[in-house]
Amino acid sequence: MNCLEFRRRIGAEPRSRAPELLAHRDSCKDGCAAFWQRAQRFDDDLEAALVIPLPEGLVDRILLAQATGERRRQVGMRRAWLAMAASVVIAFAGVGMLWRQNDLNSLPALAVAHMPGEIEALSLTQPMTDAQVEAGFMGRATRLKGPMPNGVTYVHDCTVGPYPAVHLVTRMNDEPVVALYMPGKMDTKPGTFERDGWEGRQMPLRGGTLVVLAQRGASRGAMDAVERGWRAAIEGPAAQTIGRI
Amino acid sequence: MPPVHKDVNPKQRQYEAMVRALSADLYRFAFWLSRNESVAQDLVQETFLRAWKNLDSLRDAESAKPWLITILRREHARLYERKRFDTVELDDTVPEEAAFASPERSGDAAQVRDAMLKLPDKYREPLAMQVLGGMSCDEIAAATDQQPGAVMTQLFRARQRLKDLLGGRAAAEGGRK
Ligand SMILES: [Zn+2]
Ligand SMILES: [Zn+2]
Repeated sequence: MNCLEFRRRIGAEPRSRAPELLAHRDSCKDGCAAFWQRAQRFDDDLEAALVIPLPEGLVDRILLAQATGERRRQVGMRRAWLAMAASVVIAFAGVGMLWRQNDLNSLPALAVAHMPGEIEALSLTQPMTDAQVEAGFMGRATRLKGPMPNGVTYVHDCTVGPYPAVHLVTRMNDEPVVALYMPGKMDTKPGTFERDGWEGRQMPLRGGTLVVLAQRGASRGAMDAVERGWRAAIEGPAAQTIGRI
Repeated sequence: MPPVHKDVNPKQRQYEAMVRALSADLYRFAFWLSRNESVAQDLVQETFLRAWKNLDSLRDAESAKPWLITILRREHARLYERKRFDTVELDDTVPEEAAFASPERSGDAAQVRDAMLKLPDKYREPLAMQVLGGMSCDEIAAATDQQPGAVMTQLFRARQRLKDLLGGRAAAEGGRK
């Protein structure tokens, strides 16, 4: 095997353990071992990036659908406990319950439900250093692309519902505004919401989702500024001008 | 006579084990295929329902994942009523410098995900089958009705394109307009 063929095959199947590939890697004097190493690291990153967070209750919903279908098909007694559990849920609660279940798993619900645990964070006034904020994002495999907003008073690695998140508080004119960046939470529809004393907005952002939250009565200007600030930090000023003219 | 188990029957048990073991990877595959979270959830749900009905046709636990991925791709194609992989690339040659370009480490998952979203279907799909489905070139070829060599080329180009997208962004930022 020559180097070109080796690199072609490793470029397509980096994880291949084919003996002829490993033999070339171990005997080549023209840098194919290093090429192989880089290919492994690239695929490590690729694998990690594709592992997006799972929706809540995925397994349960699959099993419930099967059990319900079974129940309908064979009105026998076997498998009764599972099928009955399913039908009881449907019969008692009906559509309302399913809707409620969906609503409780919605992004606004999960974000607002996350707030009470760290409510003290809103009263912190000591600014964080840039390095601390950066470390918070690095903990979630995200590099900031632009300058970060001023007045960051809190940063923490959190989990919001099923989603790994960076939890931030920024003070704008003495108003605390929360930002939750959830890397890998893709495909979010932009929108605003009001819920349990909180006002919020959600939007898709480079490789993830940003939710901005403030207690009811917060000024729109403060929320706008925080949204702009984190968008520029996460997406970078370049991406912003290209994407938003 | 063996003792009677009033428990869950073996088929049910096999099915539940399969759902628990494979639904995560299957959902992620469905997402990267459809690029839509709710479509991905529906696809996974439908795939497992079909799997339950056809569980007898599954030979061994080893082949469960490729089998589920095949069902899911069929459901996805049905959803969009268009054939996947409809254009077969005839140009199988890989430019030499491309083959030698070294893959760079990005370390930024958000950036990789963004690049992956931009990848054309014909590259994104086999790449997801390989990385999330753990399928070999031959398995992907069999599942997509193609020659293994053609799949090899798609996988190679998929990674090259990803690197271009990742590198392109870095270059654009270096140039800060
Ligand atoms: Zn070599
Ligand atoms: Zn938190």
